[in-house]
Amino acid sequence: MTRAGRLPLILGATAVVLAALGIWSTQQASALRNVAAADNTALTDNAATSEAKGAIGDIVTKIFSYTYTDPAKTEQAARASLTGAASTKYATLFNGVKTQGPAQKLILTTTVTESAVISLTSAKARLLVFADQRTTNTADGKTALTPTMLTVDATKTSGKWKLTDLNTLDQ
Amino acid sequence: MTMTKIRTKPPELPEGRWTDPLVRTALCLLLVAALFAAWGGWRWYAAAHDDALAFSKLRDDVVQSGEQHVQNLSTLDHRDVAKGLATWRDSSTGELHEQLTAGAAQFEKDVKAAQTITSAKVLSSAVTQLDDRAGKASMILAVRITVTTPDGDPSVKTNRLVAQLERTPGGWKISALGQSPTGAS
Repeated sequence: MTRAGRLPLILGATAVVLAALGIWSTQQASALRNVAAADNTALTDNAATSEAKGAIGDIVTKIFSYTYTDPAKTEQAARASLTGAASTKYATLFNGVKTQGPAQKLILTTTVTESAVISLTSAKARLLVFADQRTTNTADGKTALTPTMLTVDATKTSGKWKLTDLNTLDQ
Repeated sequence: MTMTKIRTKPPELPEGRWTDPLVRTALCLLLVAALFAAWGGWRWYAAAHDDALAFSKLRDDVVQSGEQHVQNLSTLDHRDVAKGLATWRDSSTGELHEQLTAGAAQFEKDVKAAQTITSAKVLSSAVTQLDDRAGKASMILAVRITVTTPDGDPSVKTNRLVAQLERTPGGWKISALGQSPTGAS
């Protein structure tokens, strides 16, 4: 074979080797990135983490707080910030307060004592929330403090977080 | 061929290796392959040196270790207290480790007398703080603890726990563990 005849072969072989190298390194890169951890920006994106924590904690505080003199405020908060499964589960959880609230002159104050982001993407978040629920029965003057914990799922659409699911972990 | 020849007669390149269509095609392929390899290499390098990705993996490591160790530290069987307490020591570090070591004898006596079996399940957890450089982390955990006594039904209670973790040569371990306080009004 002449030198000219061998040249395309050498070039072609080098091209094949380089292509293989390219494929291999791309796979290595994907292997590094294709872990569940990679999509979760909880704590890696500090600003987004605290924003989600703040906004979602605020929702929990509002929907689980109630004053018999102004039940509409709670209802409004629930309507504005709950969707899907969260709406139905909340309705079940909060039904007792809603029906007995006026008669017992209930005041419910919920405070988030601790929360942390389990997972976070640009549009979705899951949080573990510790909250204290102080119930005051103004009719008989009794108060009770109930520590609770729940996991909440939320989605963010046009800059606003809404809860899509909530699960209490008390039993 | 020389450079002067090309310059003096540009339109008529002499018949040579580099003008052969096959060689040209091979050259083009080589160029494409080289670019692809360079891009792949860069992607690999970027993935391996991605700080956010590394931090994400660290966070997940902490969650995994923390859940396992808190579960260990919430589990004890009176039938084999020695083994249970050894696991406790393995899962703890720092001050907690010292407390557990110091209190082991008394604790063993108490548990054997009460004949309790305590088991735990972590329902959910998340990291609240993580400092890679200092090797410290904080977590909150929802843990269901079941205590079985020889007489009577097992008592089940969900606990809101806060754990502090420290990095040790043997991985992340618990340096403090306690109930998350209820808010003082």
